[in-house]
Parts: sequence; structure tokens; C-alpha cells
Amino acid sequence: MKTLVSSLTALLTALVCLTSCITEDVPDNSPAGNFEALWRTLDEHYCFFREKGEEYGLDWSAVGAEYRDAVVPGMSSEQLFEVMAAMLAELRDGHVNLSAAHDVARYGAWFDDYPANYSDSLERIYLGRSEDYAEAAGLQYRVLDDNIGYLRCESFNTTPGDGNLNEIMRRLAVCDGLIVDIRHNGGGMLTAAQKLASLFVNERTLGGYMSHKTGPGHDDFSEPEPIWIEPFEALRWQKPVAVLTNRRTYSAANSFTMFVKGLPRVAVVGDRTGGGAGMPFTSELPNGWSVRFSACPMYDRDGQCTESGVDPDLEVDITAADYARGVDTIIETARAWLRQAAADGLD
Amino acid sequence: MLVLKMRSVRRLLLLLALALTDTATLPAQSDSLAPSRLTTRAWLLGVGRVNRLDTYLSPLEYTGPELHVVRETMRPTRWLAGRISTQRLVVAGVAYTHSPTDDGKAWSGQIDGAWGYHYNWRPAPGLRLMAGAQAAGGLGFQYHTRNGNNPAQARADVALSASLLAVYKFRLGRWPMTARVQADAPLLGAMFTPHYGQSYYELFSLGHYDRNVRFTHPGNAPSMRWLATLDVPLGRAVVRVGYLCDIRQSDVNHLKRHAWSHALLVGYVRHFTLIRPADRRRADMIY
Repeated sequence: MKTLVSSLTALLTALVCLTSCITEDVPDNSPAGNFEALWRTLDEHYCFFREKGEEYGLDWSAVGAEYRDAVVPGMSSEQLFEVMAAMLAELRDGHVNLSAAHDVARYGAWFDDYPANYSDSLERIYLGRSEDYAEAAGLQYRVLDDNIGYLRCESFNTTPGDGNLNEIMRRLAVCDGLIVDIRHNGGGMLTAAQKLASLFVNERTLGGYMSHKTGPGHDDFSEPEPIWIEPFEALRWQKPVAVLTNRRTYSAANSFTMFVKGLPRVAVVGDRTGGGAGMPFTSELPNGWSVRFSACPMYDRDGQCTESGVDPDLEVDITAADYARGVDTIIETARAWLRQAAADGLD
Repeated sequence: MLVLKMRSVRRLLLLLALALTDTATLPAQSDSLAPSRLTTRAWLLGVGRVNRLDTYLSPLEYTGPELHVVRETMRPTRWLAGRISTQRLVVAGVAYTHSPTDDGKAWSGQIDGAWGYHYNWRPAPGLRLMAGAQAAGGLGFQYHTRNGNNPAQARADVALSASLLAVYKFRLGRWPMTARVQADAPLLGAMFTPHYGQSYYELFSLGHYDRNVRFTHPGNAPSMRWLATLDVPLGRAVVRVGYLCDIRQSDVNHLKRHAWSHALLVGYVRHFTLIRPADRRRADMIY
């Protein structure tokens, strides 16, 4: 009996000992602690250190050492925010943000340094008044006067339903070509980008590759795996398509461009896209500030990272003269290419 | 086919229960539970607090109130002259938690079930010790309201657990009381988890799997549930009050998780047989 009770007691004690605590070592809520938490979060989770190191010599350890010196006890929240924002800007990544109650730190040189190549005034000229165009699932569309279909997709925040896409295709089926305008489309859901791309493939098509981090090391990544574009199961577009891009074509819109570029009957027209090829994750700091960063890198079908954008097939800017005349040079270039493609039998 | 599998699982659990016992003491056990075959069923509601960590979502620990529901069914079997009892335990909880600075909010919920067999000893009058094994499983989620592409984490796991109980029946004045403490700890199992930086888009939209089901053991998922209760007769009813300490943890794929729950419980107990209601004052009714 005594042995039995002793055995049970020993077993219970062993079970209790097995329940050791699993915790995360988080720096304290001080300026230095929050700085370390931010630097470490990026160090362990950010996905483009290698690409940016090769592109412009980014050295995250050196960046941390440089900005760490600017963090001093007693500095105000605004001052700490400025130091952190400046450090994050070294990543040159539009998907990296630091959100505090008073401001959101963001990097905007990827579009600020380039022509806008888009104007909502020009868009209004081409789309017309509200009664002139149709709208379904956030997609605005009409037939232009040269029988070219124009589809404006300003965001991928909404995934269109099968019925939406089928009706859009049915109503634009009479057109000789189609313009898909994703300029100033800042992204949204990748599933929405895949869905729209599914209109332009007739068989399962490789759209690109995606990977993810497998550990905190800068080179800890999974093998890139394919992103397949499955053909839309109802009406699909079988004529020439011009996809309009500019530097603010970003994130999921950058991925859409990556999916469709190089497909038969498709031309990308306009400016290079802004990039944003890392699906962003969110974390937070001890002081409650939220931080967003690129986490899962994407590559085109040739295995090239598209973080810095996708080049157009026809590079064209809106000229100052065309702005003044109310003409969208990029749309007009696309219309000319579509007419020529239709004439050449590219369908 | 299913019946065969169920039988196999029962046999396995029975063997494990026996493996955890000192078989040399078996002949000394003269009492039997078989004649009564009483089933004890309890429903409990609990209020407590939880501390949750999931580094896939945040490096910070979230804390807040948690509500629990506990359902337990226990009865003796006919095996080994009634010395083997079976227990089914379900523990569910839902919590609304916040980050240390209250900037981040999270909803979480989980349901855990365990089905086990225990070998019973009666080393002293009123005292019953039980040791056995459980087949356990759990489902759950944690949703952070301000995250972007990593807003939520799912939980799904199965395990083979060791389970120990001590039940003590005593009288406080003229009141018959039953005190009980139970400890369950998973020993071998498997759990679902995304990889370190893997998005759910890759998992569920693209079908990219990467070590998403991991083997678990006390080294990488040290977890334990303690349940202490006291049954008190109140009029014709039996009221059960208790304390639940549920420690669920894992450290796999470089992702750390913990959910440390503590709750006070209150509920009722029913004793019955399949033929006729049992007399709650019967001496062998001490679960």
C-alpha cells in the first residue's frame, strides 16, 4: 500500500514537473525595450533581407546599431516613433508600417518618386457619369466608343462572385478587346486577384511561386511552391487584353500583373508596378504600437522576386499635353494595341 | 469496421490503464463496483481568467475573463470485477482577452474532450485512487481583431494522456461529502500548426502544406489539466463546486503557444443507473 501511494505521488510530481512554462522573452515597455522589440520582430520575420541586401546593400544589423544610438531614456513617444519610422524606412518596403495612435509610419518613395500616370479626372472622362457605366462587386465597366471594353478595378478588397464575373463577361462579349485598369489599385486579397486572372486562362496555368519563413534566420525559407491559376468555370475572355499599371499598382494588384503577364493575348501597358510581393503579417510592440511587415515572398513564373515591381510590355507615361487635353495616354495606347491585336487576329 | 476500431481503442486504453497499475496488488483488491453500475454525471459552469500567448499572432501575452462549461460522465465497467471505470470529460471555454496595454483585443474559444479508463484502488476507508489513460482531443481558435493576414490561429490536437484521480468520501457532521482531485497530462499526440511564417492563404487557398501536423510530447507540448471538486448534498440535489487549472502549451515550428486557464466551477451531479434512479446516499457512490 505504502509503495502504491508513493508511486502515485511520484507520478503526479513527475507530471507536474513536465508542465514547465512556455513563454516568450519580450523586452520591457521602455524606449529601448520597444526599439529592441521592433528590431527583433523584423529581424526574425521580415522576408526580403537577402533581396534588399543584393539590391542596395541593406544590412539590418548595421541599421539596428545606427538607430539604437538615437534611443535614449526619457525620450517622448513622438521622438521614439520618429527614430523607429526612420529605421523602418531603410527597408524601402511599402508593406512595412508602424501604427501608433498619432500616426502611421510608411514608406512612399516607391510611388512618390515616379509619375502618377493616373488621374481620377481622366478616369471620369472615360468611365462617364454614374449612369454611363455598370458596377458589380466593386468592378466598374463599360464599352468605349471604339467597341473596346473598359474594366476598372480599383481594389482587390472584394472577391467578385462567379455570377458577377459571368455577367460582366456576357455584357462585354461583343467587344473587340478589353482594358483591365488596375492603376492605383493598392491590393487586397490574393484570392480576388487569382479570381480575376482566372478569366484569362483556358487551362490550369502557373501564375508564380510563394514561399514562407521556416525559422527566425534570414535565410530560413521553405521551397517556393507554385501558385496555380485555375480557369474560370463560366464565360472566359478569349480576345486581346490590355492590363494598365502604374507605380501604385501594388501588393495583390502587383500579383495580378505577375499572374497575367506573359499570357497569350495579354499586354501590360503603362508604368512599372510598385511591387509589394511579400504578403504582410502583423505584430505588436510592448507599448501597444502595431507593426506590419512583409512575411511571405512571391516570385514570378521564372522564379524572379517581384518585390520591386513588374515591368510593362508597353511602357508609356501620360504626357503633360494629354493631361491638359483630357486624354489618358495609357488608355489610348492600350486601345491602339487592342485594335491592332484584333486586326492581327490575336484572339 | 468502425465497431472493430472502437474495440481496438478500448483494448488499447484498457492495456494502458493496466500498465499504469501495480498488477501485483490486484489480488488484494476485494471490493467490486460491478454490482451497482452507477453512472455519475455532472454539469459545471465556470468563471475564471486566462493568460494566452501565440507568437504566430503576437509576442505579447493576452489576459482576460474566460467562461467554462464542464461535463463529466463516469461509471464503473464490468471489467476486472468492476475495478475499471470509464470517464468522459468535456471542457469548453470562451474568452475575451486584451494585450498588456489594452490596445490589442482577442477572442478565443476551445473545446477539449477526453475519454478514458481508470483502474480503481481503495487503499483506505472512503479513499479511492484511480490511474488510467485517456484518448483526448481538442479544437480551438484565437482571433486578434487588428491583425492583417495573420488574424487568427486554429488549434486542433489529439493525444494519449495519463490520468490520475483521488476521490475521498467523508462526513462533515451529518453531511456526506465527496472531494476529488484529477490530473490529466498528454504524453503522446499530434497537433496542427502552420509553419513559422506560413500564411493560412498558403495552407487553405493554395494547398501548400509544410510540416503542419507535428508529433507532440511533454518536451514540446507540456500540458496538464487539474480538476478539484467537492460534492455537497443540498436538499435532494448534489451540488458540485470546483477549481479548474488548465495548462495548454506548445513550442513547435518555432511558434510558442500557451493558454493558462484558472476557473472556479459550480454545478450539479446526478447519479443514476440505466434501469432506475439511484439513491444518492448509497455507499459506493463516491465519484
